[in-house]
Amino acid sequence: MTLLQILKNIVRKHSIHVCYVNTGSCNGCDIEILACLSPRYDIEQYGIYVHNNPREADIILVTGTMSAQWIDKLPDIWDKVPEPKAVIVIGNCPISGCAFDRPGALIDPPVSKHIPVSAVVPGCPPRPTEIISTILNSADILFENYETKTERKP
Amino acid sequence: MKKIVDVSLPIGPVHPCFKEPARIKCETAGERVIRTEVELGYVKKGIEKIMIGRPWQEIIFLAERVCGICSVVHNTAIIGALEKISNITVPMRAMYLRIILNELDRMQSHLLANYSYCYTIEHETLAMYLLNLRETVMDAIEIMTGTRIMAAYIVPGGVRTDINREIATKICEALDHIEAELPRFVQMFATGPLIALRSKGIGILSVKDAKESGVVGPTARASGIARDAREHELLYTELGWHMIIRQDGDNFSRIMLRFDELFQSVHIIKNALAVIPEGPVRLGNRITSGRTKHTVEAPRGELTYDVELDENGQVIMISIQTPSIMNVDAGSHAMMKNLSSIADVTSTFISADPCIACAER
Amino acid sequence: MGALSYFKEFFRIEWFKKFIAAKTEPLQVPAYFRNFPELTGNECTHCLECKMICPAPGAIDVFQHEDGQWRPQIIRGHCFRCGYCVEICPEEVLTSGGILAKRHEQNLAFTHEYKVLMNSMLCMGCGNCCTACPVNREIEPNMGSGGTSVSTNVLMRVEKGKNTVLHNDLCKGCKICEDTCPNGAVHVIRHVEAIQTGEY
Repeated sequence: MTLLQILKNIVRKHSIHVCYVNTGSCNGCDIEILACLSPRYDIEQYGIYVHNNPREADIILVTGTMSAQWIDKLPDIWDKVPEPKAVIVIGNCPISGCAFDRPGALIDPPVSKHIPVSAVVPGCPPRPTEIISTILNSADILFENYETKTERKP
Repeated sequence: MKKIVDVSLPIGPVHPCFKEPARIKCETAGERVIRTEVELGYVKKGIEKIMIGRPWQEIIFLAERVCGICSVVHNTAIIGALEKISNITVPMRAMYLRIILNELDRMQSHLLANYSYCYTIEHETLAMYLLNLRETVMDAIEIMTGTRIMAAYIVPGGVRTDINREIATKICEALDHIEAELPRFVQMFATGPLIALRSKGIGILSVKDAKESGVVGPTARASGIARDAREHELLYTELGWHMIIRQDGDNFSRIMLRFDELFQSVHIIKNALAVIPEGPVRLGNRITSGRTKHTVEAPRGELTYDVELDENGQVIMISIQTPSIMNVDAGSHAMMKNLSSIADVTSTFISADPCIACAER
Repeated sequence: MGALSYFKEFFRIEWFKKFIAAKTEPLQVPAYFRNFPELTGNECTHCLECKMICPAPGAIDVFQHEDGQWRPQIIRGHCFRCGYCVEICPEEVLTSGGILAKRHEQNLAFTHEYKVLMNSMLCMGCGNCCTACPVNREIEPNMGSGGTSVSTNVLMRVEKGKNTVLHNDLCKGCKICEDTCPNGAVHVIRHVEAIQTGEY
């Protein structure tokens, strides 16, 4: 491993730009992500910055059940994110459809059907502590040695 | 006369200022906004459809998940409708506990709404202060119900769990903390010169427009319309509730009205904790058939549940009327018309505290 | 001199420590938080009451393990963490946050009652529900493929070309009959009441 690679690993670990996309959630998970911004949890001290701009993001946080409107729009957003990139889904809805996964609902879960998902945070909604620890733990692994990684995602 | 439109500018659906996806189409001439149109439909899930044919223990979870910010009030509204149909009497202690939780929920919702507004007008310091204060309220909710959001606390014939002396003291401590901290932030908001420039006299909703578009909740009360569903509930009046009204109808008065209501909520909860009677908290009862309409006051306005049940207590027909749809509509037709700057569009939209998840379900 | 004091102010050790190290409180979950239910170690009797009250689709299931014991399992990603299963379990197999302690302290309980409703206009007497019903299978393992039976102890059987419910009180509320019915003629009602027993 070259010195440059080590430097890149360190920098990527400590500077994560996040964009959250609400694909039809009930707001519960979204405000728990907002609560992570508060000085109590202070997500920015770990180098995580919430941008809400897919073109600047490293990690997309997807909340919500994939409502019909988002089926074509979410892959578009995913394509706009520059490499290296990853998706973390927050809450039960993108994992299984939660309470809405019943006949007659206008949804199409799970999100992993539409874009590749790296990590999940179960819970309805998950606590801010769970969200922060998941982002921190997965970011270490996801972006490590990105250039030399053999298995690239499509 | 031919209408002159320079640029038709879309804002959203993914925008840093919005918590939820919504798209505002602005027709602009230079910097001036001539007309706006709000496009909804990004989070439609069809909750009312999947509620049909289900008993109460499943409906209350679906009703809570209509909106994650004001989940408690949806729970209260649907259970209130079911109790009205089946003539279930609720023990006094449970009624007080419901009011305490509802007011705590209103406090966190108003703090979040004011946070969003301050964040939108780029006053991030005040926004972060308010968001941190909201965590205190969330702690009080968590110690009372066991979880932060989606508490599922209210059941037919009472509430899930009782509170003891220790929990009541901790809630009181949280309220004392808020009462000590909040006046400083209100002072910051009320006297900050830049905030006044961005808020006073912007996004005015006149009384006439407000009456025409049927706005509810803090948006209506900031425009001088005395409209609050809590006035029909005796227990609220006993606990010292009174109508708060402001006359200006601009962004500033909407936010200040929410601050006023925060102090009132603190007052109501403290009164309720002082006089709460002893007794049982839940006396279950069988849900029977019937149809009714039940209205409660959500943090954003009046929330109405129209429910029809069969003899086994399962839903035949349900329709939910949420407050946000009227406020969003008034926003696009009256408040955001003829704004002098594009930058005021998002802040005016947020000042009405729109909840898109509520509006679309 | 001014520049020196500026640098002295800038390169303070405490300042660097505060800047680099995490300053907020540790990421902990309070003890009273209703987390995902966990096993207490009590023996599960496979009454399936937890599964019947669960409001989330597919959140809990009871499996028989290799040692012959039944044990409930929470499926993460489906579970709401509402705590109904903890509150209803008669053997107190599950625990979550402060629910179990509050249940003892305040005598909280759920009553439940299940009822099978037959729509005789839709029923064509195929007997799928009778053969699929786990209660029927336990009472009479030799039930005919058409749902006919000589025993009157069964929950339901086909009589005169129509399905007839004989003993509603045996129903466990599993809704297997509802799922297997090709016409949608069977409907299982689950009545639940939240009550408080004894003195408070």
